[in-house]
Amino acid sequence: MISTQTFTRLGKSLKGVMLGSAVAFSIGMAALPQQAQADETCMSPYMAKIVGQEDYVYVWTLGAVGVGDEQDKLVTIAANPSDKDYGNVINSISVGGRNEAHHSGFTDDRKYLWAGGLDTNKIFIFDVHTNPSKPTLHKTIENFVADSGGVVGPHTTYAMPGSMMISGLSNNKDHGGRTALVEYTNAGDFVATHWMPTDENLNGAKKSGQFADGYGYDIRVLPRRNMMVTSSFTGWNNYMMDFGKLVGDAEAMKRMGNTVVIWDLHTKQPKKILDVPGAPLELRCAWGADKNYCFTTTALTSRIWLIYEDDKGEWQAKDVAAIGDASKIPLPVDISISSNDQTLWVNTFMDGKTRQFDISNPHAPKQVFEQVIGKQVNMVSSSWDGTRLYYTSSLLANWDKKGENQDQYLRAFDWDGKKLTPTFDLDFIKLGLGFPHQMRFGSNALYAKAPSKSVDAIIASLSK
Amino acid sequence: MKNSRLFLSLLIVSLGCIADSKNASPSLHGAGDDKTGYDTKSYTTNSKALTTRVGKEADLIAFIKQPPLGLPPTPVPSNNPITVEKIALGRKLFFDRRLSLNGTFSCAMCHVPEQGFSHNELATAVGIEGRSGRRNSPTIFNVAYAKTLFHDGRDDNLEEQIWGPLLAHNEMGNPSVANVLRKIRSLSDYHGLFESTFNKPLSMETLGMAFASYQRSLNSANSPFDQWHFGHNDTAVNASVKRGFQLFKGKANCIACHNVSKNSALFTDHKLHNTGHGYQISMHQRPKKQKILIAPGQYIEIDSDLFGSVSEKKPNDVGLYEITEDPKDRWKYKTPTLRNVALTAPYMHDGAFKTLEEVISFYNQGGVQNIDLDHLMKPLGLNSSEKTDLLAFLNSLTGSNVDELISDAFAAPVGDTQ
Repeated sequence: MISTQTFTRLGKSLKGVMLGSAVAFSIGMAALPQQAQADETCMSPYMAKIVGQEDYVYVWTLGAVGVGDEQDKLVTIAANPSDKDYGNVINSISVGGRNEAHHSGFTDDRKYLWAGGLDTNKIFIFDVHTNPSKPTLHKTIENFVADSGGVVGPHTTYAMPGSMMISGLSNNKDHGGRTALVEYTNAGDFVATHWMPTDENLNGAKKSGQFADGYGYDIRVLPRRNMMVTSSFTGWNNYMMDFGKLVGDAEAMKRMGNTVVIWDLHTKQPKKILDVPGAPLELRCAWGADKNYCFTTTALTSRIWLIYEDDKGEWQAKDVAAIGDASKIPLPVDISISSNDQTLWVNTFMDGKTRQFDISNPHAPKQVFEQVIGKQVNMVSSSWDGTRLYYTSSLLANWDKKGENQDQYLRAFDWDGKKLTPTFDLDFIKLGLGFPHQMRFGSNALYAKAPSKSVDAIIASLSK
Repeated sequence: MKNSRLFLSLLIVSLGCIADSKNASPSLHGAGDDKTGYDTKSYTTNSKALTTRVGKEADLIAFIKQPPLGLPPTPVPSNNPITVEKIALGRKLFFDRRLSLNGTFSCAMCHVPEQGFSHNELATAVGIEGRSGRRNSPTIFNVAYAKTLFHDGRDDNLEEQIWGPLLAHNEMGNPSVANVLRKIRSLSDYHGLFESTFNKPLSMETLGMAFASYQRSLNSANSPFDQWHFGHNDTAVNASVKRGFQLFKGKANCIACHNVSKNSALFTDHKLHNTGHGYQISMHQRPKKQKILIAPGQYIEIDSDLFGSVSEKKPNDVGLYEITEDPKDRWKYKTPTLRNVALTAPYMHDGAFKTLEEVISFYNQGGVQNIDLDHLMKPLGLNSSEKTDLLAFLNSLTGSNVDELISDAFAAPVGDTQ
């Protein structure tokens, strides 16, 4: 078992960076701060982590007509209070086009940030290690659709050992919701396409309920259970459409995902399809070694669902809590689980609220806090120690609020367990940047020269 | 009967296909993730795998040279004689997503082959960057015979029509003719193709000719109705279809606009009419409450204003008036063909009606009263049995080669950035 002392020793040079969850997972979780809750806990377990003060927030930002240079960009914010530029934009790199910037994810070595465009299907790979304060565009994958055999809408870019797993949202045949997972090496070379199971080709999966829609959205893994889990949203036709127009189109509203799929992590084979009606979006898995479950929320039906392994080793889906007033479609979007598995932040786009749920009993979450963040809210990211929260506003270019209701921001808060205290607030329209979407953290210490030992070296030192 | 002549005129848009006819429905037709019954709790998916969406190339030129039973000779302009090479090139272009400004949109993204070469999943089209279209994607089956193109009839030439969607801001979004041509010239897989096909290089003219040649090949007929009416096979359709046709040309007088000739039928007069549907959409306030399907069998009713903050202002649509600026042309839309109408839901210029039954009901009530309502629009007085027969007739208009055309489209390569 790795000790806290060991990490303290390493920590002096790592300065707040925890190397490789692979270590944490293979050896145990004792080194994790007990009250940690963080953006970090929402990412791949195969990744180095920032356990201290984050230095930067990288914001994958949609270009918007009439705003600045009108194109997508990666915006860097100084997030360390000791930085003279704290709370300000210190870098912005435009990539050309409005690609429907959406999610991003680091490679397992955390040297590169992969950011997808749901419309143009480009994947922009940023170098964030050479100079963490000034990321550069390292490479652009432009042939994702051709590589994958027709997958459209690269969404989650999720770190696997030495590779990236990318969930698609759509396809190039009908722009509907049938899609696949697509695997690339960290170097950006195509590896394989894993199609979501459909009725016609379940690919070995068990259709446990009524649905096998073949849709995709998010990815998470529980390596110790050899489990990968995916959720389902909707196809290009719907996620690119004006939101009001979509809601008024009865046929289009039928094209929403209603499934969560359990996969064999190693073979990438789908094993079981679970019915989770109402567009299950973000997935967050518990970290505890004895906690074999994940959460998702359904956008349209406004529920928290528990995806859990029962006493017989079977994966199940269970509706465990309501989110707000479902009759007004608050539209749950981003969620964030704490690393001690005790709380879950849930943002609801339409009413602009963040809500915290007590999930100490995962079968019966209870809301314990709520606050309006803005006229709309989408993403939430928390520092490792749980005392700092960052919110951004944009959901999708054509789903965001318009006119007098437009509100595009990054808002930072301190969290003391009871209340949110504003620290800084950036208006992305006034700054001429666009619509801010996903945030990822950066740290200078991640790339310090001294601690760049391999995991094997660390384990070897422990064995002495 | 004159009073109902327009009855189907718009209905036209495209209805469903069930058919009491002897021919089976096309097996390849239908959205890949079938949502039949989604509005009930008992809904179960019936999704197809994309990996099995493969097809076989068809002898398309044969459909032009020898149109299926029920169609007249295919009009082919003298300056663009048909060749196999032109059809092949047009087919390649039709499925090439690189031809839009941002490389995401081909013609086939709105005219989806297995969705009636229209779009069954959307009421109105969505273009690049999700930009809103005002109208339903019309089918391009039998477009070779169309004398007016687009719902508002603004174009009349298949060779030139393609530049509309290529350059429309809310369709494929290209900024200029030159930009389109420059892009195609830059694509290595097109090098030499125009020269070998036309004996002249890529140009605004040859591009239009290629597109037109493929679209002109999508002739579809020899339906059960054709086999009975023109082929004199009395067993090709059942009695209900035959009664429906009598209503079609009699009591309902749909034939007044959806013309049938002695030896062939296009089921259109190529004209534009005001049925009152467009008027109603433009002039009436939307209901205060809106029923939304949030999951299979789960509806909720919301205030219509709830999503006002996330909605762009719905653009108005005045039909032919937008082309002529003649007040008498307000809310006039083209009479669509009824061939394959069972495959091209939803119906009307804005996809407002999900089923053919809804369309028949609309015309049976005489459309919607307005000052410019076509004089033929009057209540038809069809009873339930008659409406059933009329529906059976409409469902008998599905061509026998639909699967072949879809399969050919499946075999076409989809152009994406390499």
